[in-house]
Amino acid sequence: MDKNHPEDTSGYSPLAKLFVWFATPANANKIFAALIALCLLLFLSDFTYKKYGHFPIEKIPGFYGAYGFIMFTALILAAKTLRLFIKRDEAYYGEKSVDREEYPADQLEMGQHND
Amino acid sequence: MIEAMPTFYLFVLAALGAALLPKGSMRAALLLLVPVLAALQIWSLPEGNLYQVELLGQQLELMRVDKLSRVFGLIFCIAAFLGNLYAWHIKDTVQQIAAVLYSGSAIGAVFAGDLVTLFFYWEGTAIASVFLIWARRTEGAYHTGMRYLIIQITSGVILLAGTALLYRETGSIAFEQMTLGSLATWLIFLSFGMKCAFPFLHNWLQDSYPAATITGTVILSAFTTKLAVYALARGFAGTEMLIYIGAVMTLFPIFFAEIENDLRRVLAYSLNNQLGFMVVGIGVGTEMALNGTASHAFAHILYKALLFMSVGAVLLRTGTSKASELGGLCRTMPRTALFCLIGAASISAFPLFSGFVTKSLIMDETANEHYPIIWAILVFASAGVLSHSGIKIPYFTFFGHDSGLRPKEAPWNMQLAMGITAFLCIFIGVYPDPLYALLPYDVVYKPYTTNHVIAQLQLLCFALLAFAVLMRSGIHPPEIRAVNLDVDWIYRRLIPKLYRPIAALIGLIWTALSEAALKNLGQFQNLLYRWHSPETGMARVRPTGAMVIWVAILLAVTLIASYF
Repeated sequence: MDKNHPEDTSGYSPLAKLFVWFATPANANKIFAALIALCLLLFLSDFTYKKYGHFPIEKIPGFYGAYGFIMFTALILAAKTLRLFIKRDEAYYGEKSVDREEYPADQLEMGQHND
Repeated sequence: MIEAMPTFYLFVLAALGAALLPKGSMRAALLLLVPVLAALQIWSLPEGNLYQVELLGQQLELMRVDKLSRVFGLIFCIAAFLGNLYAWHIKDTVQQIAAVLYSGSAIGAVFAGDLVTLFFYWEGTAIASVFLIWARRTEGAYHTGMRYLIIQITSGVILLAGTALLYRETGSIAFEQMTLGSLATWLIFLSFGMKCAFPFLHNWLQDSYPAATITGTVILSAFTTKLAVYALARGFAGTEMLIYIGAVMTLFPIFFAEIENDLRRVLAYSLNNQLGFMVVGIGVGTEMALNGTASHAFAHILYKALLFMSVGAVLLRTGTSKASELGGLCRTMPRTALFCLIGAASISAFPLFSGFVTKSLIMDETANEHYPIIWAILVFASAGVLSHSGIKIPYFTFFGHDSGLRPKEAPWNMQLAMGITAFLCIFIGVYPDPLYALLPYDVVYKPYTTNHVIAQLQLLCFALLAFAVLMRSGIHPPEIRAVNLDVDWIYRRLIPKLYRPIAALIGLIWTALSEAALKNLGQFQNLLYRWHSPETGMARVRPTGAMVIWVAILLAVTLIASYF
């Protein structure tokens, strides 16, 4: 979406307009900044209360944040590596397999927004 | 009257009624009414063994009501109600009857007091549910349904074998707590494990659920696997091996879910991962852990159905559930997007959503019972849940790259079903006490402590941050049209590949044998020919004239001889 030509949302519901704000690439930086601020706040709040836990490691400030960040990244990288080994063409199990076929049209109720 | 009858009978009556009533709102209303009646019945029944029948000299217990069976019975009724509401517009008699018998069988199984009754319902769920896959009416769905049915029926047969052995061993068919040891208990354990999608036995789930109809998948997602969770909780609570099996179950699906393109299959992997948490709870086996399993199953059925519903609505409107083809649908399906986000927040266990107040019971108890590695795995798996169900499903469907699709919002009945389910997800999250009161044991747990809330928010928000960083740097794997291999490759590719050479070998032997036989036959034929062919003496036809001459000669010889 071009920054200078914001999307025409006139036909959308208020909820959709709100969502579109989040989906607009121009706002991505603002959302990212807000997320960083939120994470920072959550990290700092670790110093404001008495932490308890079953394991000593849980008492380190920011443990959950660091664990979440690192493990999430590791997960994505591992999954990406896994894809190299297990990815196959969509027709691998045949042209008539479920992965390949279209969902039967007579069981769909497709329609456009403005209909 | 209603008290005296096993709950399953209500569903049989409803199936008969549905078959007789004309297609339309009368029939759809009947399908909504039945789970409500069933829930009222379950709610009002006292605890105890309430209904017996004699079969071949055995007393079968059809209604064992206690707190564990009641909580599962109730959530199954709620799931049946929501599933049927979501499927209100369906005019397909096969699907409607399959759905009602399937949910009825699952509820029947939960109240089974003995293993023979359990077996009947166990197979009942298998047979009824496959029609929700076949109702798609494509060649692919037919084959997938067959694979599904073979595995489900096998699980039942193994259960029956285990039951027979157990009866020989102990003289009882009662379905009570068991300890692994004899072949009988191992067989029963294996049978439960197949339905519960244990690692390596799991792939029927990811294979079949994306192949079912839109409404069929929503209904399928609730019953089979949670019935297995119930059966494990009833039969094998405290079996330590389950802790490790469960931990593996939470772990491996998150990698597959991350790179899967079909969102209904992503959700099937995610379902597998959630089952892992429940199985860990059963393995830990303390009162709190079992409470955790029961409550997590309850919450999970709702948010998982909600996620399947939202993706199903997208499939209904766009014709696809592939992440690579979707994106930006929040513009014209905002309510579906909102419901999906609520499901995503619930499964990710954000505070104020249902997963937060149920999953933590299990995780807390693994820590209490000193399983640090299992605990660390579960925390990791929680971040993993966020990645595929919390982020991937809503982000790549409703936000992210704009696919240019501008479909209509979901039909009213789907919106209503999603709305009620979403409300329940939030209600449980905000006010967990009614759910806690339903659990098998007293709950002494406060989910909303500063410590817990901040820890969970940190985990999730930093994981979100990692997602944002990976997306911005282009490291996050893109959604692409592809299939990924999993264990089903063994029976869909490897075994057929192996039996092809074996079949060729058998063919060769057959040809050699039949050729040798033919050759011998030829020699025999030659022999016959030599003796009986027109050229040989045996087969020569002599003219009648020759015979007359010979007779004349003989007469002449006799005449001449008589003169001497």
